[in-house]
Amino acid sequence: MRVDPFYATNLVGSLDSAQANEQQLTAELSSGVSINSLSQNPVGSGENVLLLSQIQQDDSFTQSSSQVTGQLQVADSALGSVISSLTSAISLATSANNGTMNASNTKSVANEISGLRDEVQSFANTSYQGQYIFAGGQISSAPFSTSNTSPAVTTYNGDSDVNYLESPNGQNIQLNVPGNQIFMGSGTNSVFAALNALVADYSSGTVNVTQAVDDTQALGTALNYVSQQRVTIDNSINQVSAASEAVTNVKLQLTTAQTNLMQANFGTVSTQLSQAETQQTALEDVIAQLNSTSNTLFSKL
Amino acid sequence: MGTISSAFSIMSQALDADQEALNVVANNVANATTTGYTVETPTFEENSPVTIGGMSMGQGVTETGATSARNKVLEARLDQQQQLASSSGSRLTALNTLQALFTPDTGSSSSSAGDIGSDITNFFDSFTSLESLPTNNAARQSVLSTAGTLAGDISNAAASLNSQRTAIDQEAAGAPTQINALTSAIAQLNQQITTTSPNADAGTLEDQRQQDISQLSQLVGINQITSPNNGLAITTTSGQLLLSGNTSFQMTTGTVDGVTNFYLNNTNVTAGLTTGGGSLGGELTARDQDIPNALSSLDQLAYSISTTVNAQNNSGTDFDGNTGTAANPLNIFSQPDSVANSAINMSVVMTDPNQIAAAAAGAGTGDSANATAMAAMSGQTFVNGQTPINFYSNFVTTLGSTVSGVQTENTAQTASVTQLQTQNDTLSGVNLNDEASQMTTFERSYQAASQVFSTLNTIMASVLNLGEQSTVS
Repeated sequence: MRVDPFYATNLVGSLDSAQANEQQLTAELSSGVSINSLSQNPVGSGENVLLLSQIQQDDSFTQSSSQVTGQLQVADSALGSVISSLTSAISLATSANNGTMNASNTKSVANEISGLRDEVQSFANTSYQGQYIFAGGQISSAPFSTSNTSPAVTTYNGDSDVNYLESPNGQNIQLNVPGNQIFMGSGTNSVFAALNALVADYSSGTVNVTQAVDDTQALGTALNYVSQQRVTIDNSINQVSAASEAVTNVKLQLTTAQTNLMQANFGTVSTQLSQAETQQTALEDVIAQLNSTSNTLFSKL
Repeated sequence: MGTISSAFSIMSQALDADQEALNVVANNVANATTTGYTVETPTFEENSPVTIGGMSMGQGVTETGATSARNKVLEARLDQQQQLASSSGSRLTALNTLQALFTPDTGSSSSSAGDIGSDITNFFDSFTSLESLPTNNAARQSVLSTAGTLAGDISNAAASLNSQRTAIDQEAAGAPTQINALTSAIAQLNQQITTTSPNADAGTLEDQRQQDISQLSQLVGINQITSPNNGLAITTTSGQLLLSGNTSFQMTTGTVDGVTNFYLNNTNVTAGLTTGGGSLGGELTARDQDIPNALSSLDQLAYSISTTVNAQNNSGTDFDGNTGTAANPLNIFSQPDSVANSAINMSVVMTDPNQIAAAAAGAGTGDSANATAMAAMSGQTFVNGQTPINFYSNFVTTLGSTVSGVQTENTAQTASVTQLQTQNDTLSGVNLNDEASQMTTFERSYQAASQVFSTLNTIMASVLNLGEQSTVS
């Protein structure tokens, strides 16, 4: 049997493929990336798209959650101030109700409570980055205003809209409590109705004590109601923080997975490269030997 | 009865034959690296003996010419494998260019430009910021800018695919010129071979014909049919006649639906050529199958995102309190009429960020229910029953698998070509060691004949001198 006289050509083919292999490995080493084209690892490429998307979603949620936390904290501190204002109003009313005050004193109590009402109203009209946070969906204008009539009437111009932030795992976190729910609850739960009633009770100078005591009790009820609404805000703050922490943990895992998927294993790649280099050198030597002119029979003749 | 002079004659024939044989060896050595050359061996034939008075007298040897060492079956098999390998090779080249448009994102930066996957996520994420800040202008601007990036990248990818397709089409359109030149050359060689060597191997002519067939099979898938008198007919893989005997049929081109189609004898053979093999087959597969597949996936993605996002935005209330109507739609993306061409035409038509409907229909501008719904769309299965990112991920995987499959196919076919080539070279290639030994053999044979000739010469001298040592030596 004869042999292929063009063995050197075939060896050059092997040399080419060894060099291509080296090129590929060098590219992996220099870029640090193991998947440089889709065909290198089709399933890995698809996986990479999904992992990156989840990581991006997590990033985006973390950004939103810090923004949201700011807004919720402003709402929480506003409600804290409202509660302290209401507590002062209740203690003023209680002292006015014990019957020891003269007309001018009760009038001044009326003025003080009216001042506290204005304070509460300004807290209820708190805005964050230009948005009135207790206005429901009508965030572009102040939701509460009080008439100059006696008794004064406070009206709510917002709506009952509630916004939610959806976390990457689908949890809906409440972002706001509409002002009418906090300050304009039904019956004795309404903060402004109770405050306006007290102002009316004391402003004439002659106090109907029974009525004033009832109204003071109503304000106490309303105060409790505000505290309850504040819990919703506090819960949201906790939820956002918990969700954000969970997302950060998940992101860490995802990033590790993505890095493992895409990062070239330097040890393995270096070994492979060194093997490819050895192969190339060997092939070159063989080709040189075979192609040497002293190896044909003609040189022996 | 033999005479001395007949012995002279036999020896001079032997010298001639050896010289001829040495010529053949010389020709082999000279053509050792000539492409397509088939090694030749000298043929010796014994001259018919003469019978005189019941005695058979040998009449020496004649060198009747060189025979090429050729295996037609092996050559045809090589051509066949060659056309498969060059088909997958040219398809692979096209696919490699194609997949370069969708290089995997390393994730080193969270929003690497040009990556459609991260564009999709960024776009839907931009609505997450709106959930908490529905009236914030920066958050609204960011929706439009991420939408612009997404639309731009999808549209650019589609445009690149289209221009790749055009480039491949132009390349393919050039093939018939080469094919026609080769088929004419083969038909001419057929004519010469049938005339000069109807019953035997035609040597060099046959080498040329084989060389041309081999080139032809790299361009286009062919079948070879041998005909009487050493003739040959060649058809495409799907059976259309390219040449028969001394007649070749010209392949012509025409444009149908914006792409080049191929005709033989006025029959459109494009579909047959696509699956037939050869580099033309690979190019046509990429042009008519691979690139349109990728384009249609992008079209589907662009269509679904554009229409669904537009519909959702139209169902809410924008910052100015408007809800989209048929007359005044609040479209973020240009609204596509059909899936086809959705990708290349994808663009952002909304210029006023206030038109993003973050609020639910009828709700105040501070509401973000619709923004939440839009953000949640990233997890909804509205692109061919998949979420947009899953659809893109699957597209990437499918494309990668196709390329990798063709790569494997091409590697296997190339290996098989190499193997067949080795087999063929083993038979038909010029082995210089063989030639050296042949040369030595013929040289020695020539020397032997000369020696006999010289001995005859001495005998002849003795005869002429009748046993006396005198003038003739």
